[in-house]
Amino acid sequence: MRASPILVILGVLWLVVVAGLAALAPTALSLATVTSVLQFATILALVALGQSVVVLCGGAGIDLSVGGTVSLTATLVALAVTGGLPAILVPPACLATGLALGLVNGLLVAQLRLLPLIATLSTFYVYSGTAVALTGGGALGGVPETLLPWGRGTLWAMPLPFLTLALPAFVAVAALLHVTSWGRWVYALGGSERSARLTGIPVDRVRLIAYGFSGAAAGAAALVSLAWLGSARPNIGQNLELTSLTAAMLGGIAIVGGRGGVMGVLAAVLLLVTLQTGLLRLNVNAVWQIGIVGALLVLVLLVDNAKLIRSRTS
Amino acid sequence: MISRRLGEREGVLALATLAAIALFGMLSPVFLTSGNAVTVLRNASELLLVGLGMTLLLGVGGIDVSVGAVLGLAAIAVGRLLQEGAPPLVAMLAGVVAGGATGLLTAAVVVVGRVPAIVATLGLYGVFRAAIYLALGGSWLTGLPNGLTTLMSATALGVPVSVVLIAGAYLGIAVLVRLTPFGPHLLATGFAPARARLAGVPVRRTQFAAFALSGLLCGVAAVLYVATYRNVAMTIGGTLALEAIAAVVLGGTSILGGRISLVGTVLGVLLLRILQNGLLLVGVPSLWQPVVTGALLILVLGIEAASGRLPVTFARKAPA
Repeated sequence: MRASPILVILGVLWLVVVAGLAALAPTALSLATVTSVLQFATILALVALGQSVVVLCGGAGIDLSVGGTVSLTATLVALAVTGGLPAILVPPACLATGLALGLVNGLLVAQLRLLPLIATLSTFYVYSGTAVALTGGGALGGVPETLLPWGRGTLWAMPLPFLTLALPAFVAVAALLHVTSWGRWVYALGGSERSARLTGIPVDRVRLIAYGFSGAAAGAAALVSLAWLGSARPNIGQNLELTSLTAAMLGGIAIVGGRGGVMGVLAAVLLLVTLQTGLLRLNVNAVWQIGIVGALLVLVLLVDNAKLIRSRTS
Repeated sequence: MISRRLGEREGVLALATLAAIALFGMLSPVFLTSGNAVTVLRNASELLLVGLGMTLLLGVGGIDVSVGAVLGLAAIAVGRLLQEGAPPLVAMLAGVVAGGATGLLTAAVVVVGRVPAIVATLGLYGVFRAAIYLALGGSWLTGLPNGLTTLMSATALGVPVSVVLIAGAYLGIAVLVRLTPFGPHLLATGFAPARARLAGVPVRRTQFAAFALSGLLCGVAAVLYVATYRNVAMTIGGTLALEAIAAVVLGGTSILGGRISLVGTVLGVLLLRILQNGLLLVGVPSLWQPVVTGALLILVLGIEAASGRLPVTFARKAPA
């Protein structure tokens, strides 16, 4: 139950945001707003889930390529559909493409031992650059009609992709992390890689899987974007590396790894998206959003460090 | 640590650069013209200044992915002042000060706030980007007065002021690294911060200085940028961080800190810009440039890793 204080703090912050919105724009408080918040949250939630697992594994783990992976997966799968890929194969194709792109990161980090930030920064530019270059920057149409009812449908005001993909993914990963030995390995790696190695944990394989999972999660996010928007946008993943990292840190994942749970990350995603939607409703210029998310990231880590320093001195 | 082995690296780089020149010279009739050479060198100048700062940052065990946005903010300061009719010299100073001030902010967050450099600069990147959008108010700065351009292309003893500025920046950094305690402090801090501290190296002050200097150099680069293009676009400096890191790593500076090469950075910048220019001339659309740069970086690091040139483990320490 390590994550519960974080959940309380995030819950209170969320109430503050909602109360602020209620005071400033009462009309915005409706079921339709809930739906649109969750709609936006789905893509970020999936990407942040992958990011969190990578950071949890420690070893300066970070996946800066997530946005590029989402963009390139959406682009490649849309191109494959134009080339004759049947609709039924679109979901597995998205997951497989994302997984493959993530495994490239995993190999660079776990096998070649490149610094994660350099490896994933490079692949970020390779992936996002390829997505833009392949399409010339424009959106690709031709997403199968059969996907749209799922991508745009709702049940009890909750979008189907959130209900059937993002939420189960979080529950499954939370369970995996706490019940299986693989999950305990992830925390052990983040705690002390040396001890983990000495204990006989297959460190490199766990890390490879973590990056592969992050890629697959980004692939799932690409699937959601295709089914929701009905087109592949080569810039759909823009700024996701920043936002997903902010969500993970805000959700209580320690930047050095080994500490934190994914349910806090889900709460942080909802808080972030509620804040963004609220600002949008208040007609605050959308360019503020990336600035606020960036400032939040720095602030969370500053506060975290201040706590650490205070606990050391007292 | 600024060692003889780097001489080997610089030799290989120089050969690779010559090979690239020969190859593109054969493939494109335009490549070997003096006009194109000037274009390549002009395109290399901002990257060289930013790359020198990045060399110091990687050397000290840090990194900054916000350099493109820092250049953008400083360029806006220069452009706005020129628009208001300020003398070019004042605009120039303002750009350098703006870059330096941004560098101080980054230094404060990373060194005083102890936030890992990659995360801190990613967050600040978001903040700076938003600031750029807001400062530009949704449009470009275009058609700026040409006072600064005239000043930069004025010649002293046959050498343009812009070249004097770049050479001055390079020599300043080289003197700082080779002839003052800053150099050994930088390398010791980057190599093993804890041991450096035990040995009496002012670790935090050295890291702080590296970030501040990098900001300052971004400011100088912004001055050259505005003088050359006389406009500031919303997306200014988009892939600059990747290009700077790629050029510096290509030049033999270690991403793990503790080993730098200033000459290597110059050669890395030249090779990168020659490759980009050459590929453009043989018909590869410029949209592919970030792909080529990223792949080149992975390739160089991969070869180094496979040949055991890199310290084996990334878990030796988290980047500062």
